[in-house]
Amino acid sequence: MAKQRVWDLPTRLFHWLLAGLIAFSWWSIRAHHTDWHIWSGCAILTLLIFRLLWGFAGSSTARFSSFVRGPASVMAHLRGRWNGIGHTPLGALSVVALLLAIAIQVGLGLVSQDEDGIYMGPLAGLVSSDTSDKARDIHELWFNVILALVGLHVLAILYYRLRGKKLTMPMITGRAALEPGTQPMRPGKWWAALICLAVAIGVTRWVIAGAPPF
Amino acid sequence: MRFMFPAAAAACVLLTACGGEKSSQANNAQANISADSRTADTAVATTAAMPAAAPATKDEALKIMHERHEGMEGMGKAAKAIGRELKSGSANLETIRKSAKAITDFAPHVLPLFPPGTGPDIAKTGAKPEIWQNPKDFEAKTIDFQKAAQAFGGAVAGSDLNAIKASFGDLGKTCKACHDKYRSEMHH
Repeated sequence: MAKQRVWDLPTRLFHWLLAGLIAFSWWSIRAHHTDWHIWSGCAILTLLIFRLLWGFAGSSTARFSSFVRGPASVMAHLRGRWNGIGHTPLGALSVVALLLAIAIQVGLGLVSQDEDGIYMGPLAGLVSSDTSDKARDIHELWFNVILALVGLHVLAILYYRLRGKKLTMPMITGRAALEPGTQPMRPGKWWAALICLAVAIGVTRWVIAGAPPF
Repeated sequence: MRFMFPAAAAACVLLTACGGEKSSQANNAQANISADSRTADTAVATTAAMPAAAPATKDEALKIMHERHEGMEGMGKAAKAIGRELKSGSANLETIRKSAKAITDFAPHVLPLFPPGTGPDIAKTGAKPEIWQNPKDFEAKTIDFQKAAQAFGGAVAGSDLNAIKASFGDLGKTCKACHDKYRSEMHH
């Protein structure tokens, strides 16, 4: 069976950069590199904004409209009546949960300050000192939510692997062998990806500047 | 922006839900700081910048540890207030000076508040046992901090914001140097 495209390059880059930056964020704060930790969070913010836009302007499998489905689709999928490419209806729930959890984590980090008064998130000045401290405490606890969702994500991949379906390689190469008759991916435009990236960087820079009024 | 909205809303709910009780705690802490710096002034002024002897009783150890905790927290609060002023773009020098005084006043009391016998084996504390395994290094780091605090006190006496910022940055480095090595994560 000839392999066909299922994930576009921007989606794959987003995925692996996000995984890498989450690991780096964890390590950097454990190693007391708070400044690197803050920069890593800002980079994750850029990725999230990019992914949000790419979810509307990207390839068919990257679009929210293709994978954010109601409970009926999830049930049909669980009963084995689903064949398509991209996120399965159940997997989509996990993707949305992960993206939301990471967005909340970034939001908390932006308004946090460290407990010694040495570092402030770029938006910490918009809230009181006590709120910043509280945000940091929740930011620390919230990481466990992300860890649990990442664990679930990896377990699901292992589960599919045991059932003979390899999900990791397609996320690297972008290609997978498809059942005959499956609708292939409709690719996005490269210039649309560049626009999404430019907007994401622009918004991040504005946030780093402390979100000044226009 | 379909995605950022729920995220931001959830973050706001989380924050406001926990905001109320914190501010009353903060007021208590503020009250404690001033009370504690008074005790510190009278109790340890003569031994400032010298390692103190081990406390004789557990009660005495607990008292020192409490005073240490409150003092450290007070300096943290002061540093946050200063950092916020310096970042605000309209820094109020009076606020900075007031908070700076809380730090410079307490700085000489840091080392004497770490006598042997006030570690994590006595009560819950973020002070690592390594403090008493490397007394020379710990002492050197607290002295670095004292010197930086003194320099910062000098900088805030003037009104050159850039000099104050630079000096505050140096001060932060001396806090961090000690905390990275000698403070555990379990210090709340």
